[in-house]
Amino acid sequence: MATLGKEYKDREVIVRQGEAGNCMYVVQEGEVEAIAEVDGREMRLRKLGPNDFFGEMALFGAENRSATVRALGTARVLTIDKKSFLGGVQEDPSLAFRMVKVMSQRIRDLTDRLAEHHLKG
Amino acid sequence: MSNDGEPTGVGPDQPFWTHAQQLEKTPPCQAQCPNSGDIRGWLGIIAQREKTGLSLEQAYDQAWEKLVNLNPFPATLGRICPHPCESRCSREAKDGAVSINAMERFLGDWGISRELSLPGLGDPTRVESVGVIGSGPASLSFAYQMARRGYPVTVYERRDLPGGMLRHAIPDYRLPRDVLDAEISRVFDMNVALVTGVEIGRDMSLEELRERHTLLFLGLGAQVGRRLGVEGEKGPGVVLGIDYLTQRKQGVRRNLGARVVVVGGGNTAMDAARSARRDGAEVIVLYRRGREEMPASEPEVTDAEAEGIRFEFLSAPLRILRNGTTLAGLEVQRMRLGLRDADGRQRPEPVRGDTCILEADTVLVAVSQEPGWHGVDGDGPGGKWLHTTSDGKLAEDLWAGGDDRGPGIASRAIAQGRLAAEAAHAQLRGEPMPEPWTSRPAVDSAAVKPDYYRDLCRSPAVRRPRDEWLTNPESEIDQTLTSEQACGEATRCMSCGLCFDCRQCFMYCNAAGFTRIQQAGPGRYYALALEACEGCGKCIELCPCGYMESREGSGW
Amino acid sequence: MITRTTDGFGQLGERSQALRSKSSMPLRDGSRIAVIGAGPAGSMFSYFLLNMAESVALDLQVDLYEPRHFCHRGPAGCNHCGGVVSESLVQRLATEGIALPDDVVQRGLESYTLHMDVGDVEIATPLHESRIAAIYRGNGPRNSEPMDTHSFDGYLQQLASEKGARIVRQLVSDVRKHDDAMQVECADGSVDDYDLVVLASGVNSRLAKSLEDLAEEHVSPALTKTFICEFRLGKEVIRETLGPSMHVFLLDIPRLEFAALIPKGDYATLCLLGDDIDEELMDRFFGSPEVARCFPGGVIPRHICHCYPRINIRTARPPFGDRLVMVGDSGTTRLFKDGIGAAYRTAKAAARTVAFHGVSADDFREHYWPLCKKIDADNRVGKFVFWVGSLVQRARFARRGVLSMVAREQQQSAAPRRMSGVLWDLFSGSAPYTDVFLRTLHPAYVGSLVRNLVAANLPDKNRDLPRDPGEERA
Repeated sequence: MATLGKEYKDREVIVRQGEAGNCMYVVQEGEVEAIAEVDGREMRLRKLGPNDFFGEMALFGAENRSATVRALGTARVLTIDKKSFLGGVQEDPSLAFRMVKVMSQRIRDLTDRLAEHHLKG
Repeated sequence: MSNDGEPTGVGPDQPFWTHAQQLEKTPPCQAQCPNSGDIRGWLGIIAQREKTGLSLEQAYDQAWEKLVNLNPFPATLGRICPHPCESRCSREAKDGAVSINAMERFLGDWGISRELSLPGLGDPTRVESVGVIGSGPASLSFAYQMARRGYPVTVYERRDLPGGMLRHAIPDYRLPRDVLDAEISRVFDMNVALVTGVEIGRDMSLEELRERHTLLFLGLGAQVGRRLGVEGEKGPGVVLGIDYLTQRKQGVRRNLGARVVVVGGGNTAMDAARSARRDGAEVIVLYRRGREEMPASEPEVTDAEAEGIRFEFLSAPLRILRNGTTLAGLEVQRMRLGLRDADGRQRPEPVRGDTCILEADTVLVAVSQEPGWHGVDGDGPGGKWLHTTSDGKLAEDLWAGGDDRGPGIASRAIAQGRLAAEAAHAQLRGEPMPEPWTSRPAVDSAAVKPDYYRDLCRSPAVRRPRDEWLTNPESEIDQTLTSEQACGEATRCMSCGLCFDCRQCFMYCNAAGFTRIQQAGPGRYYALALEACEGCGKCIELCPCGYMESREGSGW
Repeated sequence: MITRTTDGFGQLGERSQALRSKSSMPLRDGSRIAVIGAGPAGSMFSYFLLNMAESVALDLQVDLYEPRHFCHRGPAGCNHCGGVVSESLVQRLATEGIALPDDVVQRGLESYTLHMDVGDVEIATPLHESRIAAIYRGNGPRNSEPMDTHSFDGYLQQLASEKGARIVRQLVSDVRKHDDAMQVECADGSVDDYDLVVLASGVNSRLAKSLEDLAEEHVSPALTKTFICEFRLGKEVIRETLGPSMHVFLLDIPRLEFAALIPKGDYATLCLLGDDIDEELMDRFFGSPEVARCFPGGVIPRHICHCYPRINIRTARPPFGDRLVMVGDSGTTRLFKDGIGAAYRTAKAAARTVAFHGVSADDFREHYWPLCKKIDADNRVGKFVFWVGSLVQRARFARRGVLSMVAREQQQSAAPRRMSGVLWDLFSGSAPYTDVFLRTLHPAYVGSLVRNLVAANLPDKNRDLPRDPGEERA
């Protein structure tokens, strides 16, 4: 009871690919995995742990979730409301610093993986 | 508030208050000091000098003056006192007790170098004349306290120089003569006359002196060493430790031979052993209990060991062995600690059949000392201890203090002399006795918060190099703190039980109930408006020195 | 002391020059900053400043002064407040990468329960998620048994320390200007020079008051007295009676603006805000059946720890000067609510100003003052909102209307939560008062309220919702 956010059971879906969303999430405890569903097949994009966020694209315009995120074991996840977030960034743009940093790292990872895939292919 | 069960239900009309008050308390150092020295007081003057606008010199002067209020011999006691004050210092568990003894020595030396005079009390010169028999610490303390209250004092001493055991027994390497001379002469700079070479019961009777003076103080000491009472003790080679030390101080060098056994575990035994070592002997100390039980102060024992002195604990002499009349050695009985006696000390008892032989050329006996005066109470040598009231009264005109009331450390003798003077003065003037310091409550150790204070390591004692101790045998081993070290040590005092202006109560009281006192000084920085108190108890919890506390009948 | 010249930027080069060229007092490598007070404002300022400085490769030395230990139980280690971290602050901290650890969060709160003479109603969070943190500023109430918990302030101080702030366990007794520098003097007489002093000592320390002459024409915040106390109820009792809900009382007691009971582990914190809380007001409050109802057996136990902290009801003016800035309560805060959130916002705005601009009064006026003014303006709206609230508190028919509207909204999960949302944001401090106020002007809100006012006050015996305990007494 002491902790914040909401608890999800193992393999419980937190966001589902393609569904509409208007918030992002921050993992408080445990692990979750982001999965892309392509032609009925699942591909794990990444594993996320405490303090990692996901679903952030919903805050910046994308209307539908780009991936499914589900709990790996019991996980506790806190919601960040779009309105609250954008209000915060409006007052203090540096609030987004950390997210921008992480997102650029993710783009770099994806670029690397793409290049690797391309070379192998 | 108990931690078990349900909290008791009481109405909201009984809120949980804990009103605060400021209350000075007795710090542990003062409680442990036989002379109840105001250590916190004189350290505070130095530590808080900037708050009170004193220069460093002024602070040292004032601290010295506060110190000599109760003890006229700080440079002396700062060297020889086993300083029980440091044993309960609240700082001990944090980063070591404050070096109170070294600070006392520093201030004592400061007073000597500045040629400061002992402070009078502004009393008029009085007609009642006071006689003091003996000139040891108890007698001189009494003489000083009476002289500063305006009484003309005459001190009678049987030897040629005053000082008692301080002068005649304590070796120079522990207490240099010039230091003692400087401090004793200050007492005689007051209205105190000295008559030497007069022994009571021999040159003059007690009754004669009672006639001559309104009031008489007996500081006769206990200078007769007790013998062992074992077979073979009579004869050459067995010497009383106190006699050896006294002769040595007078410049008489006795040939001890190469092997010396010292019997006893007190400070006299240590002085005898270390002096014998300086005279070139191999020394073994026999003590019937264990190291933990030794009455000698721990540094003395450690230093003795460092000088190559061997200790045989749980060992008692059984008999003295002789080759004809020449001393050959002793037979030693091994002991073990048995049942506790009435004092709670474990009584040593022989281990049957466990004995051994120690060869020796001289045996120094330093087990205990007894009264040895004539003409008082009708007793001859080895007479009875004096039994006085707690403030030292034997009769209306007769007071006593020091070792003649039972053996003790110099600080206790000084306290007895002072307390007797205070009581005698009150009696002569028909005034009530001064409030004893014990009337203040002791500081609750849980109320002192060492984690509030800055970490400051205890100044290491500056000592002469180890290899010079015996090659330069009469020079002092410990050196006086530097002024810088002394300031640092004073700052380490946590001022248990008295405000030192940490400012937290003033700063954090939600009700702004504290105001700063204009004429601030140690213990007096903030006034608390009791009616403003909102009873939250924050100031009590914040106060790092245990000065703030809960007012009676108000919560907790 | 480092000598600064306006033309020399040392090795920082063009980047920094471009970044801070407009300021007459930029910081440079080696600049020294004294932060006075390690409450949330001071610690967060230190943390964010060092974070930002790191991102632009600026090497600063931050000394964080705090003589108290937040690990002490009772008022000595406590910064006195109700101990609620609002929904918006929980979310912002999470966004910053600061997830409050389990041992700091005494209890996650999922709902508010509104207590009025006309009935009680629970307002739940949107996803039944624990979105609000009940925390202890210190390490729990006086005489509390050692708990597996930690102080919120202590946690933030540790964050600052891990970021590189040096914790100085000294009480600052004076701050003064000295040539080009600021001088900080401690109670033990030590003195140190700094390029910037950040005052974060709150309004319950005398320091701010004694520094009134420091910033030109500075006016200290205006204060009022509040009351906070702790009840030891035990985990079981709390779960059964209070649950994961903050209990708010809307009672018709003059001068009482806000009263809440906040469950935390074995304890519950009671918090009374208003206009100079005194014993008369407290007697009336504790004498209310709505309050007694929240406690087991209807008996209010003896509280084990209490204090009367002051809160500010008017911003310090101006909360800055050359080489001086006041953050948190020392500067400005939100009226009655979310003081920790305001500490975060002011601390960060000040840190941004210092890191990216400079430390002159002009820098603070340009980059820090606007936020203070914004909070201040919102507080004026807040005053009005609380005034309207007090009208509701005084009028029984209005209380019925509000209760009925919330109850209906809470029963129908799909219905728009107009009144619930307004009350939620008002009590949780999660949204600016201006926001709350604008929503009450929405025609749908007004319409719904009017309908409920009428419905709830009609002599209709079929009214299913909710029970009015006052009715039986009457």
